[in-house]
Parts: sequence; C-alpha cells; structure tokens
Amino acid sequence: MTIAAEELNPLVPHLAEIIVGLVAFGLLFWVLAKTVFPQFEKLYAERTDQIEGGLKRAESAQAEADALKKRYEDQLAGARAEAARIRDDARAEGQQIKAELRTEAEEEAARIRARAEEQVVAQRESAERSLRGEIGGLSAELAERILGSELADPRRRSATVDSFLSELDAMAPAQTTGAS
Amino acid sequence: MITGNLNAIGYGLSAIGPGIGVGIVFAAFINGVARQPEARGQLQGIAFIGFALSEALAILGLVLAFAL
Amino acid sequence: MTTTATAPAPGFEAPGVEDFQLPPVFGPVTKPVLELVLAAVIIAAFFLVAVRKPALVPGKTQFLGEAFHGLVRNTIARDMIGGRDFVKYVPFLTALFAFILVNNLFGIIPFIQFPTFSHPSVPYALAALVYVVFTYAGIRKHGFGGYVRLSTWPPDVPWWVRIILTPIEFLSNLVLRPVTLSLRLFGNMFAGHLLLLLFVLGGEYMLLEAGDWQLKVLSPFAFLMAIVFTFFEAFVQVIQAYIFVMLTASYIGTVLADDH
Repeated sequence: MTIAAEELNPLVPHLAEIIVGLVAFGLLFWVLAKTVFPQFEKLYAERTDQIEGGLKRAESAQAEADALKKRYEDQLAGARAEAARIRDDARAEGQQIKAELRTEAEEEAARIRARAEEQVVAQRESAERSLRGEIGGLSAELAERILGSELADPRRRSATVDSFLSELDAMAPAQTTGAS
Repeated sequence: MITGNLNAIGYGLSAIGPGIGVGIVFAAFINGVARQPEARGQLQGIAFIGFALSEALAILGLVLAFAL
Repeated sequence: MTTTATAPAPGFEAPGVEDFQLPPVFGPVTKPVLELVLAAVIIAAFFLVAVRKPALVPGKTQFLGEAFHGLVRNTIARDMIGGRDFVKYVPFLTALFAFILVNNLFGIIPFIQFPTFSHPSVPYALAALVYVVFTYAGIRKHGFGGYVRLSTWPPDVPWWVRIILTPIEFLSNLVLRPVTLSLRLFGNMFAGHLLLLLFVLGGEYMLLEAGDWQLKVLSPFAFLMAIVFTFFEAFVQVIQAYIFVMLTASYIGTVLADDH
C-alpha cells in the first residue's frame, strides 16, 4: 500500500469534518432541545388534552342532556298522572254533585208533593166546610121548594119537617165542631 | 483492457449473501404484518435489528474492499 | 492492493475515490465542512420559524415541523423504545434525523451536489455519539454488569449454542453496531454519489470528448439515467437517514428492555 493510496482511502476520516460535524450537531441539538421540541411536546400534549377534554365535555353534555330528558319525561309522566287524577277527581266530584243535586231535587219534589197534598187536603176541607155551610141554606131552599108544593097538605108538611129536624139534630154535634 | 481492483469483485461477492438475507428478513416482516397487523410495532423493531445484522456483513465487505 | 491492467483505458477515466477529495474552499475549510454548518443553520432556522408563533391550529411551517417531529416521535421512538422513556430521546432522534436527512439531500440539491456523508468522518462521529448514548442508557438502567450480560448473554439457551452465540452477540451488540451504523450511511452516500458521477461524467465525455458520433448520439441516455438515478438517490438518502435513526432508536430500545 503506497502513501498516495492511503491518502485516497475513502475510509479515512477528516479531523476537521469530525470536529465541525460534532460541534454543528451539538449546537443544533442544543438549540432544538432547548427551544423547539419542548414547545412541540407542549402543543402535542395540549392538543391531545383538548381533544380528550372535548370528548369528555361532549360526554358530560350528553349525560346532562340525558338526565334532563329523563327529568322532563318524569315530569311529563307526573303531569299526565296528575291530569288523570284530576280528571278522576272531577268525575267523582261531578258524580257526587249530581247525586247531591238529585237527592236535593228529590227532596224538593217530595216537599212540593207533600205541600200540594196538604193544600189539596186543606182545599178539600175548606170546600167541605163551605159546602157544609151552604148546605143548610140549600137544603132550606130545597125544602121550601118541596114544601111549597106540599104545604097544601099541612099534615104531610109537619111530618116532613119533623123528620128533617130530627135528622139535623142527629147531625148537629158533628156539624158544629166541623164549622168552628 | 480493464483497470480496477480485485477487492471490488470481492465486495460484490460479499454483498450477495447479505442481499439475500435482507430480503428474507423483510419478506418475513411483511408476512408477519400481513397476518397480524397489530403486531407491527414489535415486528418492526425485530426486523430492523435483523436487517442491521445481515447488512453488517455487506458493510464489512465494503470496508475490507478499501482497507486491504 | 491494486491489480491493474497495464495501461489506463484510453480516453475516458471512470470517476473514483479521487473525485471525493475536494480542494479546500479556503484554508482548511472544505466543502463538506461548509455543508455541515449550512445544514445545522437551515434546520435550526426552519424549526425556529416553525415555533415562532405556536398555535393549536398550526400554520404551514409549524405543521411541517410538527409532522416531522411527530413522525420521529410516534413512528420511530414510540414503536422502537416504547414505554414512557421514549419521550426523553425524541429530541436527540429528531435532531439526528433532520441533520442526516439534510446532509444527505445536499447530494442532489443543485449547486451543492455533494452528500456530506460520502466522507466517513461525520458518520463515524455520529455513530460514536449514538454508541455513547445507548451504552450510557443501558448502563444507567441495568448497571455495567447487567448491561454487558444483557448484550452478550441471551437467556434460555443451551450451553453448546452459547459457545457460538455469545461471541456473536458480543460482536454484534457491542462492537459492530456503531461500525455498521456509520459505514452503512457512508457506503450508501458514497456509492450513490459515485453512481451519479459516473453517469454525468460519462455522458459529458461521450458528448464532448469522444470522437465517435455514435457516442455523441447515445450521450443523452447517459444524462437521462443520471436524472433517473438522481430521483433514486433522493429516495435512498431519505431511507438511509430514516434507517440510521430507526436503528438508533432500536438500539436504545433493546438496551432499555427488561429482558433480552
């Protein structure tokens, strides 16, 4: 191997390149590791955090919405039950009112009927009474008329009068109490 | 009339074996990933170590081609 | 050891190792050195702009920065290291990824067009740094004995396998890891740049210097291939940066693991 060939051996390193390469790479690494890559890592972490946080937020929002929906549904069901209850109550109340009204009406009707009956009785009594009062005059008139035709016969007249009077006598006590 | 260095021929010969070896390593790697894509990460490491190991022989050949 | 045929090929000389020995721009400062500084400045500026006005809903630059950071954080660090420990290593891994990626991409950016890591110096240095980081992490977690045991003493293995396995584990876990890590990066960048050089210089030679008109006619195909391989190189450069960081994370992950 000649000296010239050794100079041309491509495997022989150049000291200047080694030094400059190491220094350049060292400085590059130092600058990047100090300033750039922490920033990237931070951004990376932030972004991951934000995405995960966003997912978490969406999840919680979903859960909240679910809860809200459940609450509304519960409320709705409650309202429905309430409405049904109110309707039932109203129906019951209505029934009760109807029943009350009916009994009241029945009572009223009964009362009216009773009063009507009473009135009828009273009217009949007053009619009886007035009839009974008139009956004396009428009978006397009737008697006159009858008697007028029969006065010619004094005997018969006196007999008739007698029998009439005796009849009246028999009736008299009842007559006087009814008239008073 | 050819000028040149016999070492270059020697290097050429020394590169045959590693060439085949590297091919086999990556063929196996591809097969493995095709069968189990989820094992890619692990296989990749093994594949590159195997690749480096076989390639080392070719590189030694290159060095010796210049150094001898 | 070079076995050369007698004469160099007439005319075209294929690009080789000597094309990577760039003349210094001024003093001892060479192009890769400038590129290293430029890469560090570009990355720092980009990320500082990205966090200038941090907001939960990011702007364009901030979004790009965060996407980059998120890629390293969630795909590489979390899968490879796992647990809660990984956050601690994310800045290192992200800076490493950005630094390697930009330096690699210098290989195809017009007017720069030289991948810094086609010189092995910085890959060596970065791999050594990674080695220090994961060794320190392992020793702090398991203690020195525990760390060595974890690295060399696979559990549940019969003794006759262990005779073979333990040296292999020792070599691969404690010796070869940084070596392969750095050389993989260097080798890919070196070979990729060499490939592009070959097509561009070859096309140039065919177009300008070759006497035959047939070669002149064919030269556009060389340039076309150069363009195609430029895209391919872009892909390789991204992949290599990714693999470097991926392996770093994976090494940290294995030394932090509870069992083997």
